[in-house]
Amino acid sequence: MDKDLETLSALYDGELDEREARINLEKISLDEKLKNTFHKLGVISELVQRNTTQKASKIRFLSDHYKKIHPVMTNIVTAAATVMITLIALYQFDDDRFQVDKESTLQLSTALSSEEAKIQLFNADQNIMEHMISIMQSNSSQKVSKNWIPVGFEVNPNNPNQFSNGRNNLFFHLENKQLGIKKVKYFKAKNNWIYLIPLQDGRLLTAYGDVPPSVADPMIQSIYQRK
Amino acid sequence: MTANKGDDMLVKEIQSGNTMAFEAMVLKYQPKLMSSLVGYTKSHDQAEELCQKTFLRVWQKIDSFRGDSALFTWIYRIGINLAKNDFASSYAKSSKLTHPLDQDEHDVPQNYSPESILIAEESEEKIMNFINNLDIDTRTAFTLREVEGKTYDEIAEMLRCPIGTVRSRIFRARQLILEYMDQENILNG
Repeated sequence: MDKDLETLSALYDGELDEREARINLEKISLDEKLKNTFHKLGVISELVQRNTTQKASKIRFLSDHYKKIHPVMTNIVTAAATVMITLIALYQFDDDRFQVDKESTLQLSTALSSEEAKIQLFNADQNIMEHMISIMQSNSSQKVSKNWIPVGFEVNPNNPNQFSNGRNNLFFHLENKQLGIKKVKYFKAKNNWIYLIPLQDGRLLTAYGDVPPSVADPMIQSIYQRK
Repeated sequence: MTANKGDDMLVKEIQSGNTMAFEAMVLKYQPKLMSSLVGYTKSHDQAEELCQKTFLRVWQKIDSFRGDSALFTWIYRIGINLAKNDFASSYAKSSKLTHPLDQDEHDVPQNYSPESILIAEESEEKIMNFINNLDIDTRTAFTLREVEGKTYDEIAEMLRCPIGTVRSRIFRARQLILEYMDQENILNG
């Protein structure tokens, strides 16, 4: 039965070659038990996919909602939503807190060997979602220290929070509390990077945009050197 | 919706008239279609009727499926269009039921009544909890396949393990879930 089920499972996923597939399609059509099992695989798929979609749609709702409130934040909202949706697909979150099981995160990070997956998972802190939400809710323009701006970047005259070197764009957001983030954390979603930088004065600087760590690292170093 | 590599073979077989492949496709997608149609119509009976109609239409129109979208997306569109037509038609002709089906066309397998397709909410929760407690390797391979729609090749590359390992982890996950469903007497009636 194990062998039959393994073949059935591979057939269900379309991973058998044509000859094997034909043989097994015939077997299913002649065997009620196999037919029933194949049908149950469909039931399981439906259940898992629907449950994941429902959770992901909550994040999409948040994303759409805050995009309307704060259109400038489109990139970060999308980035955060993408990261959270990916994580939700792999873990069950507590609906209210969006917590990540850290032990599982570590184990999965070991299992998933791509650098991007590691970065996403290692840096998915329990406070990130709350922080993203607070950023999205904020409409205020913040005063950004000139010392934080990386070399080669200049302020966008139309948006005091946006800086560009002509190739990459960087946005800053400043929060008066650090949300329990004690050291620099960053994560990536598609082409965007989000850096959470706890400042020595107790505030939290969030820098985000299509700025890779190679560019952001000297910026972060200089933020810590210049008080 | 992610494309499903497995459907290429099914579609090819159905297009060549293989009724066993058609039956397998119905078994595979009936639960998902029923769930969507129940959600759309809010009526189990209506969803059941539409589900039958949809698969008949799929059988009739399968030659026109070019693979531009995932197979289920195409099936789903047919189902929703039929549902819309049903609403319009029942509104216009409130005294009559919907158009009779062409009964001389291919029969949709009847073995699985819609009552047995959808799982009770509390059982769903149990199954999802069970899945969440699978060991991390098994759960990861299974999730990447079911949720992300990744092929075995892609999963093997992501997890840096042989494709045979991926196949057996996904099988193992399904085996454990099926055993759990049996044990909890879910869908056994």
